[in-house]
Amino acid sequence: MTTLGTRATTSATRRPVPRARLRGARRVVLALILPLAAIVAWQATIWIAAPREWMLPSPAGVAGAAWDARDRLWFHAQWTIVIACIGLVLATVLGGVLAYAIARSRTARLAVYPWVIVSQVIPLVALAPLLILWLPPFAAIVMLAVLMSIFPVVVAGVDGLGGTDPELVRAARGLGASEVWTWRHVRVPAALPRLFTGIRMAAVFVVSGAVVGELVASDRGLGALTRLSAGQFETPVTFAGVALLALIGIALFGAVALAERIALPWMRRTTRRGS
Amino acid sequence: MPAKGVNVSHGHDIRVSGVRLALGDDPPLDVLGGVDLVARAGEVTAIIGPSGCGKSTLLDVIAGLVEPDEGEVDAGGEAALMPQRDALMPWLTLQDNIAMGARLGGMPQDEARGAADAAIARVGLEGFGAHYPHALSGGMRQRAALARTLLGARGAWLLDEPFGALDALTRAGMHDVLRDLRAGTRPTTLLVTHDITEAVALADRILVASPRPMCITDDIRVDPSDHHGTAHHVLQSLRMTGVMA
Repeated sequence: MTTLGTRATTSATRRPVPRARLRGARRVVLALILPLAAIVAWQATIWIAAPREWMLPSPAGVAGAAWDARDRLWFHAQWTIVIACIGLVLATVLGGVLAYAIARSRTARLAVYPWVIVSQVIPLVALAPLLILWLPPFAAIVMLAVLMSIFPVVVAGVDGLGGTDPELVRAARGLGASEVWTWRHVRVPAALPRLFTGIRMAAVFVVSGAVVGELVASDRGLGALTRLSAGQFETPVTFAGVALLALIGIALFGAVALAERIALPWMRRTTRRGS
Repeated sequence: MPAKGVNVSHGHDIRVSGVRLALGDDPPLDVLGGVDLVARAGEVTAIIGPSGCGKSTLLDVIAGLVEPDEGEVDAGGEAALMPQRDALMPWLTLQDNIAMGARLGGMPQDEARGAADAAIARVGLEGFGAHYPHALSGGMRQRAALARTLLGARGAWLLDEPFGALDALTRAGMHDVLRDLRAGTRPTTLLVTHDITEAVALADRILVASPRPMCITDDIRVDPSDHHGTAHHVLQSLRMTGVMA
């Protein structure tokens, strides 16, 4: 009995590490190489050039300042997160509706699509003061976030809806599907992978849009914090704000990627869960 | 006996008379140049002809997807078209893909799923109902597409080179599946193919199509006791049409 128990324990301790876990660890290590190299280069610059802290603080200095100003950073981050989330939801909904209209109607394609493209030529920083003039600050900042992020959603949606495999459409129509049924059950589902690619890009752009608005028209949000802290030579706090903005962008991108995995199980699984 | 939920009528001919169609505007391309044909009820009628002669377009016209410029089409009710590729929806499981045919026929979802399960069993895909198409082999997907057509068929089957993309061994297996599916209900079937052996093996009659603009140049009844002789006859007819040297 004892021998068997010992054998079982030995066998358990020698069990090889699952391949999936190894792959996961490898991905984390590869993803961290670049930022770690940047931090090392940054610290080396500090050692070699010894700049003043208000000009270029050290990584440790930034980390220390971030910890000391954590309440302030979180206060401003909440505002930016709320604006970015509202902006992303609006950009997704409005962009999806616009893409559907443009793909479905030749009139909408001719009348609206060129202006969607033109809207991206206007620098948002130049447009921001006007929006602040016309709208309440919160609405203006959300509008800037939407304007910054809606373009990839529309373009990806139009491409996705227009690029449906013609044989899928023919198969559905050949079984008696109406035009409306085909749009709802074939063209829209077929467009979802491309649409999600656009939404993932929007998740990154929406943070930039929110920051532009906060820089110009708000005393709250990480955009406002970076402006105020840079003006007061609190450079470590400015760096911490920028790092937090990057983290918010990455988190939004990850959230969209997760939503995509849940919404499109056929892209990754061979069978439906639970079947 | 038809499978549960299968609503196949096998009492109608498919009649096409004087169908002409030009596609494009500048300049218009004559695709169908006055096609006359009759696919008799309960039979398999094969159309054989060169690539690009307009066979698929003719099926689209019969299925009602394209309006002809001239001529008349009577498909004997609604026909179900099966494209060359399996064209299964990648986001639907095999069961939902097959149920799609029944749902488009007006069957409620639960009932359609039941009918799909029966059809899955008929084409030998038990246990794969919950799989997505990309997890299956080409032959399995093609069986599923046939099952979907079976549930969608209300008057006739229009099969557009259904086995063209399969290897010879899988294709031979699919011929058996098709024969099995037709047994009992015997839906009127119009089969487009470029393979003489396939046409002779599956069809009761073979119509020879000319190059574009397409018309039917010969109507050959398959002799079940002499497939070799029928194939020779078809080959000669294709040569006379100018398709082969």
